[in-house]
Amino acid sequence: MIEKFEKIHSSGDFIELLKRSGNYPQQVLSGISNNKALEIPQGTTVLAFHYRDGIIVAGDRRATAGNSIMYDRCDKVIPIDDYSLMAIAGVPATAFEMARMLSHNFEYYRRSQLRAMSTEGKVRALSKLLKDNVAMALQGVGGVSPLFAIYDTQQEKAFLYFYDMLGAEFQILTHVATGSGSPMIKGILEHENLWGISSLGERSEEEATSLSIRLLQTAAQFDSATGQARPEDKLYPTIAKITKEGYQFIPDDEMATIYKSSMSRS
Amino acid sequence: MFEEPFRWMEAISTRHSYVREKLRKGQPVIGVPYNEGAVIIGFSPQPGKIFEIYDRIALGGLGHPADVERLRMTLLDMAHAEGFNRSSKDVTIERLLQFGLAPALKQNFEEIQRAPYLIQMLLAEINHEDGAEFFRVNYDGYWEKFKQGTVISGDKKVSERIQKKIDDTDFVSCTLNKSIQSALRIWEEGRKKPALEKESLKSTDDSDELDDEMEGHPTDLKEAFERWNLEVGILKKNTGRKCLYSTLSESEISALQSEVIR
Repeated sequence: MIEKFEKIHSSGDFIELLKRSGNYPQQVLSGISNNKALEIPQGTTVLAFHYRDGIIVAGDRRATAGNSIMYDRCDKVIPIDDYSLMAIAGVPATAFEMARMLSHNFEYYRRSQLRAMSTEGKVRALSKLLKDNVAMALQGVGGVSPLFAIYDTQQEKAFLYFYDMLGAEFQILTHVATGSGSPMIKGILEHENLWGISSLGERSEEEATSLSIRLLQTAAQFDSATGQARPEDKLYPTIAKITKEGYQFIPDDEMATIYKSSMSRS
Repeated sequence: MFEEPFRWMEAISTRHSYVREKLRKGQPVIGVPYNEGAVIIGFSPQPGKIFEIYDRIALGGLGHPADVERLRMTLLDMAHAEGFNRSSKDVTIERLLQFGLAPALKQNFEEIQRAPYLIQMLLAEINHEDGAEFFRVNYDGYWEKFKQGTVISGDKKVSERIQKKIDDTDFVSCTLNKSIQSALRIWEEGRKKPALEKESLKSTDDSDELDDEMEGHPTDLKEAFERWNLEVGILKKNTGRKCLYSTLSESEISALQSEVIR
């Protein structure tokens, strides 16, 4: 396997390494002319908002294809490196591949260049992957619209971005949601931020987690492609926070308690 | 002329001598386990001795900086391509060496028209059963595996002395701090020639040559801390993170210095 790596390439670009070693995924499928060819699982609700200590990122667990529920334990919030998380909406195959590529990209850069990639560099890296995927998105078989949350250790500040399928990036200062269930909860998020007990940015971790659970439960009431929690099967939404300590997922045993208290009126 | 077997063997022998001579001043890098993982330490005049390779793999190198960099990048490329195409669990030092680096190093060494790599490497890994493993790789592709820890050094005698002390020390039950301190003391002791060895060297030409090379180099920890950089790479298991590698910060190294030299 060493022959492919004989020359020194010190740019720290993992994508370039994949291309050089012939491992970069194919971006255009031949023989597919429009978006009616395949049914791809893509129903989702993922959301993220700034809270007092950083950013909370949450997602339901259901993957669907048309009217069929394909899977009920899908993890849509994915750690990329110690200080960044990606929440995926869209075609899972492409989204998971992008997350893996991005993760290796950041780690490869950090290890080869002996310093972490800048926040701007990381934000753009995801944008570039989405741009490279435009052909698949336009063919209707690979569209992904992710959220990206990152804590910048130098600026000591958390940043949140939303991307469209073509790779445009939008910095979010308050809250964002994407996926088929997102229209049901965007209004609630805005309402909570403007007229709730406090603005989202002032809420504690407990309040932010509880709100995320309620929002996903609400989305699931109205969107068949968003999965509800099933405590009897120990099936809960995925919720992670990103703070100056890096990312941290809420473990299942804690989720059971938080879920129970969130479902009661208070 | 190299078509004749004897000439080829002579050329290889000369190459060995040349590389060993070039590596002679290489400062020891020590890799040992501790109760929560593995640690690699090394002093050097310039930073750039210990590196992270992959989630559970660290590298310590000595030799020509350009060669260390070249092979570090090769290991990084192989590990990341493999980890992406298959799984991070498929990235192990044994695979990287056995099917990648070792054959290439051997081939390079025996192609006598090409410049040889001036390098020795120490690799440490926390395997997927959470055990620490250490590997020593020579410039000609020869590699060995150690459970207790190991050392690389340009000076073979220093290397042997340090290896013996590593084998005699129970690092696995030590805390991180204790393991680093013990490794540093072994580093210091390894540089001191035993009286018997000094006597035997006096009667050979090697004596002056070795002394000349060691001249100007720190001989104890106090001097080493003052004049050189200490690098410490740590692989800590059970962190809940996929990347196990970390380094000691400057303030942690200062605290360590005052503890060791007290």
